[in-house]
Amino acid sequence: MKEVSMFIPCTVDLFLPHIGEAMVSLLQRAGANPVYHRGQTCCGQPALNSGYRKEAKKAAKHFIELFGNDEAVVAPSGSCVGMVKHHYPELLGDEPDWFRRAAELAPRVYELSQYLVDVLRVSDVGAIFQGKVAYHESCHVLRGLGVSTQPKALISAVKGTKLVSMDQDDFCCGFGGEFANHHPDISEAMVQDKVRNYLDSGADLLILCEPGCLLNIGGYLSRHHPEKRVMHLASFLAQAGREER
Amino acid sequence: MRVSTEQFTELAGQGVEKARARPSLKMVPHFLYQKREAGLATLPDAAAAQACGAAIRSEALSRLPDLLEEFEKNAIANGAKVFWARTAEEASEYIVKLAKERGAKYVIKGKSMVTEEIGLNGCLSEHGIEPWEGDLGEFIIQMLRCPPFHIIAPAINIAVETIRDLFMARADMKEPTVDPVELGWAARLFLREKFHRAEFGVTGLNMAVAETGTIINLENEGNIRFAKSSPRTQVSVMTLEKVLPTMKDALHVMRLLSRNCSGQKISAYVSMDSGPKKDGEIDGPEELVIVIVDNGRSRIYQDPRAREALRCIRCAACLNICPVYRQIGGYAYGWVYSGPMGQVLMPLLLGLDKTQELYRACTLCGACKSVCPAGIDHPSLMLYYRSLDVSADIPAAHRFGGKKRPWKEALFFKAWSTAVERFWMWNSGISMVRPLMNRGSHRGVIRRMKGAFSGWFRKRDFPAMAKETFHERWEKIRNIW
Amino acid sequence: MKGRILLSARNEILERLKAAPKKEIPVRPFMPPLKEVALGRDELADRFAEMFTAETGIVYRAKNNDHALETLTGIVKREGLKSVMVSTDEVLAPLNLPAWGIKIDVKVMSPGDFKGRDDFKDAVFDGVGAGITGVDFAVAESGTLGLIHDRDQARLISLAPILHIAIVPVERIVPVYESVVASVFEKEPFPSQFVFITGPSMTGDIRGHLFKGMHGPRRVIVILVG
Repeated sequence: MKEVSMFIPCTVDLFLPHIGEAMVSLLQRAGANPVYHRGQTCCGQPALNSGYRKEAKKAAKHFIELFGNDEAVVAPSGSCVGMVKHHYPELLGDEPDWFRRAAELAPRVYELSQYLVDVLRVSDVGAIFQGKVAYHESCHVLRGLGVSTQPKALISAVKGTKLVSMDQDDFCCGFGGEFANHHPDISEAMVQDKVRNYLDSGADLLILCEPGCLLNIGGYLSRHHPEKRVMHLASFLAQAGREER
Repeated sequence: MRVSTEQFTELAGQGVEKARARPSLKMVPHFLYQKREAGLATLPDAAAAQACGAAIRSEALSRLPDLLEEFEKNAIANGAKVFWARTAEEASEYIVKLAKERGAKYVIKGKSMVTEEIGLNGCLSEHGIEPWEGDLGEFIIQMLRCPPFHIIAPAINIAVETIRDLFMARADMKEPTVDPVELGWAARLFLREKFHRAEFGVTGLNMAVAETGTIINLENEGNIRFAKSSPRTQVSVMTLEKVLPTMKDALHVMRLLSRNCSGQKISAYVSMDSGPKKDGEIDGPEELVIVIVDNGRSRIYQDPRAREALRCIRCAACLNICPVYRQIGGYAYGWVYSGPMGQVLMPLLLGLDKTQELYRACTLCGACKSVCPAGIDHPSLMLYYRSLDVSADIPAAHRFGGKKRPWKEALFFKAWSTAVERFWMWNSGISMVRPLMNRGSHRGVIRRMKGAFSGWFRKRDFPAMAKETFHERWEKIRNIW
Repeated sequence: MKGRILLSARNEILERLKAAPKKEIPVRPFMPPLKEVALGRDELADRFAEMFTAETGIVYRAKNNDHALETLTGIVKREGLKSVMVSTDEVLAPLNLPAWGIKIDVKVMSPGDFKGRDDFKDAVFDGVGAGITGVDFAVAESGTLGLIHDRDQARLISLAPILHIAIVPVERIVPVYESVVASVFEKEPFPSQFVFITGPSMTGDIRGHLFKGMHGPRRVIVILVG
């Protein structure tokens, strides 16, 4: 059984732990053995995005210490994976030893859907869901990692599910971490447009692969359209799996 | 042009309101974006073409001083004069002085961004020389005294009623109309007279070719061609990064610029000047003066990272795809260059201290980077500027004038970074924050919060912090899994 | 004194640029050529006509110069033109447009008829219904005309009048811009100005509404000869 190390983003750990649990069950169902390092904290994105490079470096070194020897690391977040893959080597560029370790780790870090489809070669996780589903192409998943076909393959393989198209599915939802809080006028207008497109798509459910987008779109839906749902791909696949059983 | 970059947040809010009131505003960038897609599809390998554009711009920057010298030498050999200006003021004052010496009563202008950057219109007016913008959009916003809404469609947001009133009052329009074609016709008649009698023309330029000393302009209306054909004196202003190695490179950039800008294979007019008119030619300028403007760029060039912003060819593809620009329009950016292009350029030109909101008002979605034909990595540049706010001690921060962050934020990240490498501290921190965070939660949802996070909660909820984090659950039940 | 100040700005800027850290020059990626490169003579003409029409240009085809003059007469009559400004370039020269004008009673002017720039400008801005030019090149890639401006090809003829009629011999059609520019800039002195013209003068500046004839010609008509 393939051992895979899980990185649980802090947003998931604190606010959306069910996504982590869903990931565990999905990985197991796909024939992998997920392991969890107790020492993990945060990948460092909030610090880097706010300009605190020195502080982000600490997070990077901590992550590398913890995950550096793992054969594969998987996370249910495109932005955390992008942070490790792309920003760690850049952040640590002036420390040759750390740079080398970061660069060696980078290719072994995967976004969840990417790991399932590209590495484990599993796209049908044996789930069933009767309904129409739209997919939001999160910025860091699509443009950051080039991951788009994988989550769609996983969704399409769910029995009874129809993946419907959504206008501007590759447009940013307006999260951007601190941006959403600091620029509410702009961020709200962005998430409004995203939700409008979701409603117009006629889908019963919106699926995505990024906890940040989930908090943003979910937070807006909760306030204005409580009947509409948005889910992380992991939760969707795991839950649809349970319904089947 | 007034700089109002420091009022970004306020102006952005107004922009959102305006766009909400007039949804058609948001369609402009979307329409241009769709045209771009179709335009690029006419190339055999669009991705390779874009990559080649990036390589050309990168090479041009790497060889910048040599290319400038080569360009200058060849331009002079073609019979042009070359003037170097360190600052916006030097450039504007020189042009004004020249216009006065030539006895120009007014100046006819071809659409250009650089002359807005150096504040030429204001400087000309102060000296009693009327500047007339030849481009229809620029003509409208010049009279309205408002900034460009979009770099290639500066007045696209202006209501036809406003234009009607403006043309009746200021452009000799005879009968009131709100028909865009008739309004355009009125502007044609009015500006035609200006083109006809012009003795002094000023243009910007899109490319300067080192190999031949040629300057190149792209346009659709013909205002630039008029400004380069009718007057006796032609002044063409360029910022120093506009130079390209060869004519072949220029043709490739021309293909990319047209497509990325408006989806055209080529804009209606591309004019390439190599010196003034020759003996026996009845029109064209008797003298061609090329003004090379630095205005901070040689300072930007010192920084190999920041330098990448100078790759920009002003196509506006980044504006059209930017989800923030689409919501707020061009005014919020507060100066000449709007959208991601402005967010990476203006902090370097104006100083980080005056533009902090610009490079922080970005979700780092990367759409701009994905369409840029010059290969600019806008998100990385904005992250770089953000880091200069924080690490005021590094030389680049001094060079670009980083602005300190609030002490509370700095303190937070200090504490955060202490905990981030000590998981026990991290987890006990979480346990301490949880009751505070969840104080106002109801059924697992937080609907309101005052203070630092109030922005989020205006229109959004947030899940309460989980009773058990994933970490805590794992500790308990990992054996079940 | 003045000279020294100018020189110092130049040197100051260049020295600063030269002192900056150097960066590597990237390798250019391979780009497949445009498909027009592989077209034969007839295909090129068709492609040019197709692209030029796509840019809202109007194309007439003429077998030879006599036929071209007949076509031109037709256009001039239909448009009700009383006077035209014509270039003296080598494409138009064999057509002998002044003689043609007398025959069909249209006033044919060319820059040589004027004392100087100002008189010429008065006429070309306000006194003619069309400008007629030859072209140095036509580019199939995008339906583009290429004009070298010199003493026989004044700039304003193809720009100021509301109608531009261009005579394009098919042998002047080339596949891509590179074919043109290579010969225009083959040897010095370079032409004072070289222009690419693709379709009419246009704008979308008022609410995105397309308006042709913003400053220059509202229509461009090509007579393809050969």
